[in-house]
Amino acid sequence: MKFITINNLTFGYDTKKPLLNQLNLTIPTKSFSLLIGPTGCGKSTLMKILAQLYPKYGGQIINGQVDLAGHRQAMMFQNAGQQFTMATPREEIIFALENLQIGPEEYQVRLKEAVAFSQIERLLDQKISTMSGGEKQRVALAVLVAMDVDLLILDEPFASCDPETRKFLIAKLAELRNHGKTIIISDHVLSDYQEICDQIFAFKQERVVRLNDDEMEQLFATAEQTPDLHFSLPDKQASVFTLKQTQIKQNRLLLNQEQLDIVKGKPTLITGANGIGKSSFFQGLTQLITYEGSIKYEGREIRKIPARKYLTHVGQIFQSASDQFLTVTVADELQLSQQHNPHLRYSEDQVAELLKMLDLYDRQDQVVYSLSGGQKKKLQILLMLLSSQEVLLIDEPLSGLDHESVHQVIELMQRCQSELKQTMLIISHQIAELGQWCDYHLVFENQHLSYVER
Amino acid sequence: MNPSIEFLLAFIISLELSLKNSFYTNLIVIVLAIGYLLVRKIKLKKLLLLLLVPFLAAFTVFATLFWFTKKSDPYYAWSLATRVYVYTLTIACVAHDTTAVDFARSLEQNLHLPSKFAYGVLAALNIIPQMASAVKQIRVAGMMRGMYLSFWSPQLYFKAILVALTSAENLAQGMESHGYVEGQQRSVIVPIALNFSDWLWAGIILLVININLFALG
Repeated sequence: MKFITINNLTFGYDTKKPLLNQLNLTIPTKSFSLLIGPTGCGKSTLMKILAQLYPKYGGQIINGQVDLAGHRQAMMFQNAGQQFTMATPREEIIFALENLQIGPEEYQVRLKEAVAFSQIERLLDQKISTMSGGEKQRVALAVLVAMDVDLLILDEPFASCDPETRKFLIAKLAELRNHGKTIIISDHVLSDYQEICDQIFAFKQERVVRLNDDEMEQLFATAEQTPDLHFSLPDKQASVFTLKQTQIKQNRLLLNQEQLDIVKGKPTLITGANGIGKSSFFQGLTQLITYEGSIKYEGREIRKIPARKYLTHVGQIFQSASDQFLTVTVADELQLSQQHNPHLRYSEDQVAELLKMLDLYDRQDQVVYSLSGGQKKKLQILLMLLSSQEVLLIDEPLSGLDHESVHQVIELMQRCQSELKQTMLIISHQIAELGQWCDYHLVFENQHLSYVER
Repeated sequence: MNPSIEFLLAFIISLELSLKNSFYTNLIVIVLAIGYLLVRKIKLKKLLLLLLVPFLAAFTVFATLFWFTKKSDPYYAWSLATRVYVYTLTIACVAHDTTAVDFARSLEQNLHLPSKFAYGVLAALNIIPQMASAVKQIRVAGMMRGMYLSFWSPQLYFKAILVALTSAENLAQGMESHGYVEGQQRSVIVPIALNFSDWLWAGIILLVININLFALG
């Protein structure tokens, strides 16, 4: 058996503070490896080194070598949407295969395979920029499958996927492994991997260790517990949003809702399959896209309230953290949230305490864009909680967060919500983590939102 | 017609007519261009817009030379005013049924421009709609934090440029992760046809226009 080896690798963006220090790693080929570790530990960096994008595009190898054992590799980025050159999936697959000097006949075969693999038939000629986060991830995976490389490197590929899609794709990747591909995946969520992954590598204090069988079993055992959840159904509580004959369209009809009241002052969880229209629903609520029919906020039609005023009452935490940032450093961002805030409900000491809770206290001078994916997410959520609107629309707050951070973020949201009695609408696929806290659960399917008890 | 030939033809005609005044040649080009657009089934609304929008510019040029010069020169006025339509309509002929992707492919395959150039242009075109929605989103993000960013606010564009820079950086990495290597041979999956008839038509059109321009001009 061949191995992908990393020998004594020291890598950093700053030579004085290497991110990876004397790393040694042997990854068996033709196997399925899972890479786990806390937010900001260097998982994405290691993957980009394996994909040979670093040090070309950032950082430098201070010491050591990486040997891919002659494998041709391709990588799927954490933020899948930023990986496409062309406008549609079909064009992107053509682009990638032309790069690999594949002819037209072979292209037809591979296109068919890739489309069947990730089930993107419906999306094939749709503009990628109009797709949902989960759909983009599926398309990115289809491109890698079409490229038919030996080594697939996937950086949190399912962060925005619904549970069914996730299960389906992991099983599909296992199939690829059975056909001799090497798969390296990083993920914070461990469900669905137990039967499939051959080994787990865990980042622990600047080193990466391979877990033995007992450790693996233990890890899965703690992850597998799904609590028994129960949600209330609304019963004449005061409502903050009222929908009547509402329609929202984006490429196609997404929401067609006769009537819906959203309960005021409580956290409500929203779930639904990829591309069903959850984020578009939020965009309708924040006036980013238009809707037909009526959506009222506190009795007033949303489209008639001036955005400038409305958005000081209704805030959104975007799916992509970078979209929320407006200045340069962490400290600047914090100051901005405090400075213009008409409510100003947190003192400096409280902010400092919250920063410590999120492990961001020492990073205040850092440029926000240089934070790791998980750190960005935590900061973003904190900034919007500090802005303390009456209503917060939260789009996938837990995606890309490690176990520890998930608990920090939930605790933070919970604390702010109970202090300020905010209405929180939360889109997430991670029901197990959020279910115990959220009072209500809205399921989005068949162009309809309905309350459920489970 | 092949996109590259179409583009070269439009470019040569526009250049020639910029250097030499010829009202009648302008008219012929305009008639040919409208005829071509109609044959390629342009929507009437689009065609009307194509004629209406440049009207302001054409009329201004005409008015200046016809009424507001010391020595009115009707021929010169007509010639310059119609020139505006020569530019817009010839480019419309290129743009009408050529997508950006076809054009980039044609530049790469037929004119043998470096793929870096062809796909760089294409990627930039794809980023434009993304930038438009990014600007919208930045404004919303600002308002949610109590900061109103007007359309002339430097902060809005600072952030927009930052978004563009990250996109460009990610795009370079994205292209490479999908197998692109600068200067390396690429295969052709969607060929853009370049037939003898393309050259023939281009030759005939150029000939007709040049005869008009220099013989009758």
